[in-house]
Amino acid sequence: MAPRRGEKLLAWGLLLPCLAAVCAFAFWPIVYSFVLSLHRIVLGLPGLGEPFVGLGNYARLLADPTARSSAGITLVFVAVSTLCEVALGTLMALALDRSFRGRGLVRAAVLVPWAIPTVVASQMWRFILNDRYGLLNWLIFGDQVGSYRAWLAEPGWALAAVIGADVWKTSAFAALIVLAGLQTIPRELNEAAALDGAGSWQRFRHLTLPLVLPALAVALVFRTMDAFRVFDLVYVMTQGGPANATNVLQFYGYKKMFAEGFMGYGSAVSVMVFVMVLAVSLLYLRLVGRRLLRGDAR
Amino acid sequence: MGPVQSWFVPARPPCYSETVARLKTIAALGLALAITLGVAGCGQKADEPNTIRLVAWKFNNPGLWRRLADQFEKQHPPLKVALEIGPHSSTSYHDLLTQKLKNRSNEVDVFLMDVIWPPEFASAGWALPLDDLFPAEQRELFVPAAMRAASWRGRVYGAPLYLTAGVLYYRRDLLERYRLPVPRTWPQMVSQAKLITAQEKGDLAGYSGQFKQYEGLVCDMLEFVWSAGGKALGGEGQRCLLEGPAALKAVRFVRDALIGGAAPRGVLAYQEPESLSLFAQGGSVFLRNWFYAWPILNDAQRSQVAGKVGLAPLPRFSGGRSAACLGGWQVGLSAYSSKPTQALKLIKFLTSETVQRRLVLEEGLAPTRTGLYQDPWVLKAQPHFAKLLPVLEGARPRPRTPLYPAVSQVMQVYFHRAISDKDSDLPELAGRAAQDIDRLLGLAGGQ
Repeated sequence: MAPRRGEKLLAWGLLLPCLAAVCAFAFWPIVYSFVLSLHRIVLGLPGLGEPFVGLGNYARLLADPTARSSAGITLVFVAVSTLCEVALGTLMALALDRSFRGRGLVRAAVLVPWAIPTVVASQMWRFILNDRYGLLNWLIFGDQVGSYRAWLAEPGWALAAVIGADVWKTSAFAALIVLAGLQTIPRELNEAAALDGAGSWQRFRHLTLPLVLPALAVALVFRTMDAFRVFDLVYVMTQGGPANATNVLQFYGYKKMFAEGFMGYGSAVSVMVFVMVLAVSLLYLRLVGRRLLRGDAR
Repeated sequence: MGPVQSWFVPARPPCYSETVARLKTIAALGLALAITLGVAGCGQKADEPNTIRLVAWKFNNPGLWRRLADQFEKQHPPLKVALEIGPHSSTSYHDLLTQKLKNRSNEVDVFLMDVIWPPEFASAGWALPLDDLFPAEQRELFVPAAMRAASWRGRVYGAPLYLTAGVLYYRRDLLERYRLPVPRTWPQMVSQAKLITAQEKGDLAGYSGQFKQYEGLVCDMLEFVWSAGGKALGGEGQRCLLEGPAALKAVRFVRDALIGGAAPRGVLAYQEPESLSLFAQGGSVFLRNWFYAWPILNDAQRSQVAGKVGLAPLPRFSGGRSAACLGGWQVGLSAYSSKPTQALKLIKFLTSETVQRRLVLEEGLAPTRTGLYQDPWVLKAQPHFAKLLPVLEGARPRPRTPLYPAVSQVMQVYFHRAISDKDSDLPELAGRAAQDIDRLLGLAGGQ
């Protein structure tokens, strides 16, 4: 039976606020960023007007050595931090999936880093990594103050530190998703496999892993997309330094827009990040998502 | 369309009528409209004619703003001051304020401006000129560097509120113990630091300062460049001069003699607080910092070197002149204010001698009015101010261009690359920075 017109109208009416919110807060900013990125807008120089420059900002972006190195840094950050987080998260989930006394408490405790606001966590890492009174130097070198290192002052170490802070903070999130996946695996399967003489590695490799793969994929997608947008860690810990070694794309775009006032160029940078995230998520969707969407994870 | 119906109106009562359906539809649409309008409507505030909205940078003691506002309200009824206090970091505060001005917000009448912003704010049309408040005889009452920083193309855009500049803090006790004079040149300071740190037990560094990649790095580095006789930008034609021999010499000195030499390598990640705490814990012989460090260093609660600290103008290179980077804040008038006349009264009040004296006595902030540096009240409360006026008279504003924030970003990266790698190719790095800066200046000049 076809719904009556009144019902259709009601349906649209109820959907409207949600649609309006999505348009206002998701689509419009994306479209507007894209429109801005096609213009040359310099806040400090209104005399220049806001001329339409087509893809000029993108052409400059591709030739901009800072943007290129930022893109490279972002990719390194995304690849290393995501892999570490999912791997570590899986280990944590496997541990949490076992039954032991105080499991509830441990499960809650694991989430603590994730629950701490990023700004607070970043500030904490800055203190830990401080060259004179930081905890890390003390743990490694003890009283040998002469060997203390200025972690955040060395380009390689600073990037490693930012990645480390991200892994510390968000592995728990990956663990949570993987744990949810683990919980759906029936115990009997494991027991049956054990009866058939499968060792614990074999059971993990041929039973647990394939079954938990969809959850792993979800964790991977979320973490990758999130990692591309890394901003607050860099903002608090390094401000893009030392010598631009942690100047990830998002931070570069932010500096262009808000610190320097190049609205057009900065928008081009953020559209670029958007395109990269979109491309990666489409890729993931192709690789694993279809099976997930069909719901036949097995 | 079946499923829609099934969850939409799960169990339709037999008495269901078209009217009820229509009423429901209307109610739902009304609700949707209300939500949409509600979302769009928030953010609009009524504009009260007697309320001046002041957007301020956060003092170390934020309560001071309310006290100043109270005093103003008492003197100027029926005017009221609505305060919005922004973040303490100048860069974050810049983000907040420019966001408002860019959107032509009428929620700002008067705002605080960092000493480096007037060219940008004037050129963007965000700040109105304050020439009426500053006829020639008024300008003479203020520290010249402050007036220079507040002006752009011959007009005044900022009323100078208070000042700060870079100075050298030194351990008086250590210099006395080794019978050393207060250093006059940078190389002299480095050799003194070497001598003292070699003799003293424990982990004592020679020099502490701000060398993280951020705005403070530009201040510290320009002081070296200036005191070697170099410049960042030259003349009204404005070209980048960082490739000049004096500028290169200064940067090379910082790289070779300070970073990893007299200063611990960690200063490459230091902003003001870290550099101050190293010195305050007795961890270094010398410290470059702003005026605000003096009361902290002499407060036995917060400093282990209280009473053992001296203050002097920054050293120079032989043949150069000591140069302090000028910092501080000014008060500006928003171009989008609906009540500029009332707003001007607040600006006049904030830069009056009375308020300036209060800022010194209650907050230890260095006034912009020259006369107060001879004021007996001020000198009684802050005897070290006698030493600050000569520093301020030799202080220099940072490069003046509407694109300063962008120019500063290029300089930050250049300086940090140059000093953090001991094998850096300085002429090559300086050349690339100069090229980028010249392109920015060309953009600004082509306006």
